[in-house]
Parts: sequence; structure tokens; C-alpha cells
Amino acid sequence: MADQNTPDQGGIAGHGSFFQPTDLSPQEAQAATEWVRKEVDKRRYQNEERVDDIREHMWELEKDGEIIVHRIKDEHEPIDVETLYGWNKRIPTKQLWHHKSCGQCGNIPGYPASLLWLMNNLGMQPGKDYLDETDQTSCTAWNYHGSGIGNVESLAAVFLRNFHQAYVSGKQHGYDDGHFFPLVHCGTSFGNYKEIRKYLIESAELREKVTKILDKLGRTVDGKLVIPEEVVHYSEWVHVMRNRIASELQTIDMSNIRVTMHVACHYYKMIHEDAVYDPNVLGGNRTAIGTAMAQALGAQVIDYSTWYDCCGFGFRHIISEREFTRSFTIDRKIKVAQEEAQADVMLGNDTGCITTMDKNQWIGKAHNQPYQVPIMAEVQLAALACGADPFKIVQLQWHASPVEELVEKMGISWADAKANFEAYLKEVEKGNIEYLYNPELAYGGTN
Amino acid sequence: MQDIFNEITQDFRYDHELNGCLNCGICTATCPSAHFYDYSPREIVQLLWTENVEQVYNAMQEKIWACAQCMTCAARCPFRNSPGGLVMIMREVAIKHGFESAKQVLRPFGRVMLKLITTGNQLSPDMIQPDAFPDWGPNIQKVEGDLQTLRNAIPVKTLQTVETAWEVSLKTSVEMYTIWEMTGVLSSLETMDENLYDVIEDFIDEKREDYEDWLEEQEED
Repeated sequence: MADQNTPDQGGIAGHGSFFQPTDLSPQEAQAATEWVRKEVDKRRYQNEERVDDIREHMWELEKDGEIIVHRIKDEHEPIDVETLYGWNKRIPTKQLWHHKSCGQCGNIPGYPASLLWLMNNLGMQPGKDYLDETDQTSCTAWNYHGSGIGNVESLAAVFLRNFHQAYVSGKQHGYDDGHFFPLVHCGTSFGNYKEIRKYLIESAELREKVTKILDKLGRTVDGKLVIPEEVVHYSEWVHVMRNRIASELQTIDMSNIRVTMHVACHYYKMIHEDAVYDPNVLGGNRTAIGTAMAQALGAQVIDYSTWYDCCGFGFRHIISEREFTRSFTIDRKIKVAQEEAQADVMLGNDTGCITTMDKNQWIGKAHNQPYQVPIMAEVQLAALACGADPFKIVQLQWHASPVEELVEKMGISWADAKANFEAYLKEVEKGNIEYLYNPELAYGGTN
Repeated sequence: MQDIFNEITQDFRYDHELNGCLNCGICTATCPSAHFYDYSPREIVQLLWTENVEQVYNAMQEKIWACAQCMTCAARCPFRNSPGGLVMIMREVAIKHGFESAKQVLRPFGRVMLKLITTGNQLSPDMIQPDAFPDWGPNIQKVEGDLQTLRNAIPVKTLQTVETAWEVSLKTSVEMYTIWEMTGVLSSLETMDENLYDVIEDFIDEKREDYEDWLEEQEED
């Protein structure tokens, strides 16, 4: 076999013939590795002085009369959190416009159902404290990342269209503009919208182009683009509400449940200066969302060596290169969670990750990799811990991973819940459907 | 070839994504695609950084399609480069110029593109069925039943749909089609897959007619 480290034989595989090996001694290699662990793996503040806080430029644009900023007001009852760079981020806790996720709604509907269920149980009034309506598309960034057919201009126009709708959505329910603040369910949408907001604020040319489109759609206010003060992810809402969820709603002891967390890449790797970190959560080396929620519920949170890895979703790959997706997710996530952490459950906070890790376990048997771990969103686990029905609310029937064992370990009878749900399906067939809120609200009706 | 390279470097995102490179390889170390393909984010950065025009062109034939767009590379790079972001620019340029390799890579992705461009939802319940994903196993859902009934059992009205992830209003769809037209998304699609473009055009025309009819009905009322 050829020595792949020899430059004249093609260099290190996949890295190009120009690549030169370092020839480090073992001690030097160890020192270099330590540097990486200290400077890169540890998510300490390292670049904050070189990065502009885009929100400051947003205030200037607003002051110059170029844009309208959709403000978070006191009535949204915001709670402050700290981001990676120590910046403050305000998370509104009520009057929220649910920006749905196509993956969650299409594939894992227990996400949005659990979220609305928790909001209802915390006393929120549908139609006043939150709104779920039909007037929205997804961010459409799956096409951008998957095919390259989407482009920045189209993503910016979709972002502004959807968030304009959020801004004006209160009107038909008798509220002022800006009453509802957008709450983004999807990790991809969250990352995409933040990236696009940055481009919009930095580029006058992009603003000019999309203003023409938004004007044509009637989606400007006084000829101005509407941009939200913060782009907020549902996991951030769960994060700031975790102690209320645990103290007011939790009914199940979680102390015997071993939890591993997988946070969506596009949550904390795109515009990562905005991701929520807490020095008290895994030493501040991991973004705090999800993990802090599991801690608040009293579960055992287990760190693992491939926490930082992506799930292998790949946008295009899960559809057309499935062997890549399933190999990566088994090798780097599912296998590690089982062998290293003996996890009872792997939590996620994005549809792509949950789908990838949930659906790609069965095929492992064909390759003598029979690793099985229940996969669900952190908000689903929170709802379960608060007594939500595993089928009617948490919608675990759509999951392929072995969630039954986790539910049983939490002291809930899977068989009883399933029998109840099958009986409920008979009622559904007769039209006797139970809703979390008045369905007319989705079409502009009042509560 | 030089024109292709210039188009990449003149994209307004380019300066965001490429600041410099020490060839440290941190980006490649945890790149999922580097585990399974002849692909390295470090190589992409180096080719662009050293203005290796010919190799950039070659990488656009296949390698750029290995990237999973997770942006792990971007989060880890000490120089704040984003190899994944550079790949995004290269993909768009490849499509704009109708690279045959891009057409081949994207062909199996057509079903998702059809769904996205016509409905604004990338995934819908009728797409994720066991017959389309045999490798997801026999236990893909834990309760047997008619798909529409199972959807109706979700306690959120907007989600009780089968052909879309949630119910999208006609007005919303029509606004999205205008965005696709005005931003060149439909032109890119036509370059990539003319047959798919024709199908989507027909669908859009039909939806627009439905919307016009609906508006007329509202006026009559």
C-alpha cells in the first residue's frame, strides 16, 4: 500500500497533492491537539471583538427611517439570556406567532402539539398569547442548502414576507401591529433567517431588490421592510420557561432517566454568536438549550464525545444519498449515545436531526450495527414529564425508534395509552376530534 | 473557466465566507462528508484562497455536492471562514451555468423540489411513507391506520393535512410563486430540469387561477 503521507504520491487522501504532512513529533502533535481542545472545542469567547453585533446596525437603519424593527415589548414578557459572546438576547414568552416547521409538522407533529400543550397548561390563551395560522410558508431553505436552486434574494423575500405577516397578524384579532412576535420552530429556519437578516442589514443592494418584491406583494409598512428585533427559536422559549415547566407542570420523576442531547447544527453553528450559552450548563462548552431543560426536569444529563457532530442529515443526502446519512448517524451519534452514555433517550431540537436519527436505526441490523436509542425533541420529553398523552399530544406513533421503553421507564403504560388512542381514532373517524385551540383561529376567527 | 471563478469571488457573500487559511485542517477534522467522500472543506478553501482556477472548476463537477451544509466547518474555523458557505456559492454558480454534473446529482431530489416550489413545504405526510423508505424499517409508524385519520388525530387544525406539512393559504402560495419568479428561482429550475419546470409551471398556473376565482367569489359575496 502506498504511503499516503508522501506528497509526490498524491498527498493525504482527499486533501489534494499540494498538502504537506506536518511531521510533528508525538509530543508536538499532543500539544497541537490540546490547543484545538482549548481554543476550538471549548466554546469560550474567542472572537467577539472581531464580530459586529448586527442588531446595532439594525437600530441605525431604523433610526435612519430605512426599516421598521418589530420590537419585543414588555407585554411579550421577555426573559434575558446570555449568548456565546456574552451578549444579551431577549426571549419573548407570550404573544407568539408560531412559525411552523415543514419537517416537524409533516413528519414529527409531536413537536408543535407538545409546545402548544405546554403553553396551554401554563395558562396561555390561544388567539391572544399565541397564534397558529395558515398564512405562512416554510423558510424554504431546504431547497437552498439541498439543491442550490434557492438563492439569497428569494430567501430574503420569503423571510420578510413571513415576518411581515407575523407583524400584522394581530390585526384580524383586534390587536395592534406587532402584537404577535414570531417564534421559529425549525433549526434550519432559525439559522437561515439569522444569516439572511445579517445580509439584509449589511447590503443596501439586497434591501433595494427585495423591497421591490415586498412592495409588489403589499408586504411593506409605509414602504419599509419589517425586520424582527430577535430571531427566536422555540427551544429558547422552552429554555427560559424550563423552571416554570418543572415547578408548575411536572408530574413524573425523571431522576432515573439518562438523557443525551443533540442540538441542531443550524441552531448554534450558523451565526453562532447568537446561540444561548450558560456557564452552569456543561461548563459553558455546549449551548445550553435542551440540556438545561433536561437538568431542570431532574434527569441525568450525560455528555458524550460526539456531541459536536452533526446528525448526517445533509438536506440532499437524506433523500438521495441515504447510505451516507445512515452510516454517519449510526457511527457518530446512535452508537455513541448507546455505548458511551447508555442513554435512555437522545433529545434533539430540529426536524432534520430527529428524522435522521429516528428513522435510520433499523437498517443498522443489516450491517451488524444493532444500535437502538429512542429519539425525540426536548419539548416532547418535557410534555411527557408533565403528564401529556404519549399518543394524542406527544404523537410518538410517528417515531420509528424504540420510544416504548422510555415511556415505560417513566412509569407510563405504553399498552394502555395505545389502546386509548386506538379507541380515540374511532371517534376521529366519526368527526369527534379534540383540539388544543379553537380551529377557527387558524382561519382568522376569534377565540 | 476564469469567468466561473470570477463569478464565485464576486458574489457578495464571498468576503464573508473567506478570510484567510492556515491549512490547519480543523474544518476537515469533524466534517461528516470528509468521513465518507473524497471531500475536504480545507481543500475547497485552499483552492479558492490560492486561486487555483482549474481545480476549483473540477471541484464544482462533483465534490461540492458532498457537503452536508451542517456548517460545522464554519463554527470551528479559527479564521471565521465558512467552507460550507463557499460551497453554497459554488453550487449556485454551477446551477446557473447548467453543469451536467449538477443535473445528475439533483435528479433524485426532484420530488422534494416539486413539493417545495409548489407548496412551500419541503416535506409532507404523503411523501414519508414506508414504500418510499424501505430502509427505515417495518416499524416506521407505531399505529396502523388510514393516513388522513391519523393526521386528523393531531390536535392542531393546521396540521390535519396529507399533501402539505400544514395547510397553506392560497394567497400565501401565490405570493411565494411571485417570489420564485422575481428572484430567478424558476429560471434556475428550468436550467436544471425542464420537465420538472413544466410540471411546476402548470401547477402554479392552476393555483393562480384558483386564487383569482376565490377573489371573484369574495367580491360577489
